[in-house]
Amino acid sequence: MSLKPLPIHTSRFGGCTLTGALSVTTHVRNTASVIHGPKGCTHHNFSLLHATGLDNETVTLPDLVSTALCESDIVFGGEGALLRTLGSVAESGPDAIFVLSTCIVDTIGDDVAAICGREFGVPVVIVPTAGFLGGTFQNGVANALRALADTAEPLPVQESVNIIGEMNLEYEVEENYAEVVRLLDMLGVSVNIRFVHDIGFDDIGMLGAARLNILREPLLQTVGMYLEQRFGTPFIPSFPLGLSGTLSFVEAVAETFGIDSSRAVEKEHLFQSDTLAGFSDLKGMVASFDPAMGDLDSVHSSSEVAEAVRIHMREPGTRCLPLGPGRPVGTAGVRRMLHRWRRQLHA
Amino acid sequence: MKQIALYGKGGIGKSTTSANLSAALSGMGLDVLQIGCDPKRDSTRMLMHGNFIPTVMDLVRVRGEAPITLSEIEFTGFNGVRCVEAGGPEPGVGCAGRGIIATFQLLEKFGALKGDVIVYDVLGDVVCGGFAMPMREGYAQDVYLVTSGELMSLYAANNICKAIQRLSSRTKSTCRLAGVICNARNQPNEEELVAEFAKRVNSSLIQYIPRDRVVQLAELNRKTVIEYEPASAQAECYRSLAMRVMENTRFTIPSPLEIDELEALAYSYI
Repeated sequence: MSLKPLPIHTSRFGGCTLTGALSVTTHVRNTASVIHGPKGCTHHNFSLLHATGLDNETVTLPDLVSTALCESDIVFGGEGALLRTLGSVAESGPDAIFVLSTCIVDTIGDDVAAICGREFGVPVVIVPTAGFLGGTFQNGVANALRALADTAEPLPVQESVNIIGEMNLEYEVEENYAEVVRLLDMLGVSVNIRFVHDIGFDDIGMLGAARLNILREPLLQTVGMYLEQRFGTPFIPSFPLGLSGTLSFVEAVAETFGIDSSRAVEKEHLFQSDTLAGFSDLKGMVASFDPAMGDLDSVHSSSEVAEAVRIHMREPGTRCLPLGPGRPVGTAGVRRMLHRWRRQLHA
Repeated sequence: MKQIALYGKGGIGKSTTSANLSAALSGMGLDVLQIGCDPKRDSTRMLMHGNFIPTVMDLVRVRGEAPITLSEIEFTGFNGVRCVEAGGPEPGVGCAGRGIIATFQLLEKFGALKGDVIVYDVLGDVVCGGFAMPMREGYAQDVYLVTSGELMSLYAANNICKAIQRLSSRTKSTCRLAGVICNARNQPNEEELVAEFAKRVNSSLIQYIPRDRVVQLAELNRKTVIEYEPASAQAECYRSLAMRVMENTRFTIPSPLEIDELEALAYSYI
């Protein structure tokens, strides 16, 4: 039984489990996500995914279908509504159907697994997403990744990596991916699949073929461990963060593949020096980190960057310009963060 | 208008007691409405001469949003007692508690909650908020516990005391414990035990109903005892209950017992 969490600052780590799961399932091409619950859950999430897409300069029309439960479905059970919905969605010929439960459905105890276990002519994948069980957005992401991973079987390993759990709703999702690819290219390592970002349902079958999994962020460690257990694939717990984090990332990937990383690291170090040299105008300026920039990783990597360009950082909350928040992915992420800082400091 | 609710362990005889109480009340010339709040829908069966009446939830299920009229859910049984069954889902699916809430909203909309007395006959344990609905928002003001002298039955009654205590302590609440009805299993010292239990939870034994074969005979003849054998001692018992319910003025906030106390109490009356 989940208990009420402590009343801590949860805005970053809270959120709706269903939304988290949808940020994953809607990135599998030609599939439908059936949301078993009242229609508002679907409407709200459609709007959110659509609006976030627009913010990220893409038009997203996620294929969400609601079982549109009403009061009598709650009283008599919503299994019939789910069965009808799955039947009609299956007729439209998707490659797979994802079924996501909502709070009310898990409260009344609909047997979703029994309904989804019937034959619909397409794979039906259940993602548990009832938020009141204590889950967050992040749990939704993790639940979806695990449910999708369960559709794949272990394979012979190839010399490639999987990218696990990209933050599909973040503005810089493509830039961050491109930066990781650039670093992997330096080592001659290729990407097997982006699990999950704009892939086909069949691609998921390749999940077990990678030599290494690279997680987007450390919050995905339970997923990393699950994949390791299922496919024997080791993982790196995060995308590269900041200057030294980027260098150690290159080293860690190289080590897994048994490659000598010294030349790549040296090249990247030079590239970092060049990049920082372009921001010499910031030297000697005074700022502090925004107290909202709470997590240690981002404080650490941002402090390192500030030090490298000789910005004097005061204690958070002191009366000077607050910078951030920032979690700079790779050297390119550092450069974009410095551009933002420059705009703030010269404003 | 008097609104009373009968709560107690499943199988203890709430429906039999409710139906006979309603029949006895109607015999006093009162306009009585009995509402069965249990998906098993058999509360009013003896008043309806063995017929299962269509339930409110059945109609909602079939009609969806289409309108339902009062005449489709309210049926007149023995001696003019009006009967309603809330109904609910099949066992093991859905949410019966929400069904009770939905039924009350419908009855309210119809203006069906009228007459001299409303008797709410509620499913065994108050398993969730929905089944506490009759006690909430000014519906049933007088709550009667139906129990035998068996420990499990007293345990259930004590548990319901907790729900009444919680609900009656709310500011606008008008729900109170009105008394304990002993529907006896004819075990030794049963009346004394249940009377003492009633006292300990800050209430009183309002009626002792002995176990009598006439209840089963009446049931097999699809009638209440009041109708089947009006001259019997058992019928007199139900009439006495009806009288006491109408005259009752002692409404209390119960003080439920700890399990140890309850066991010790039952033990002392072996």
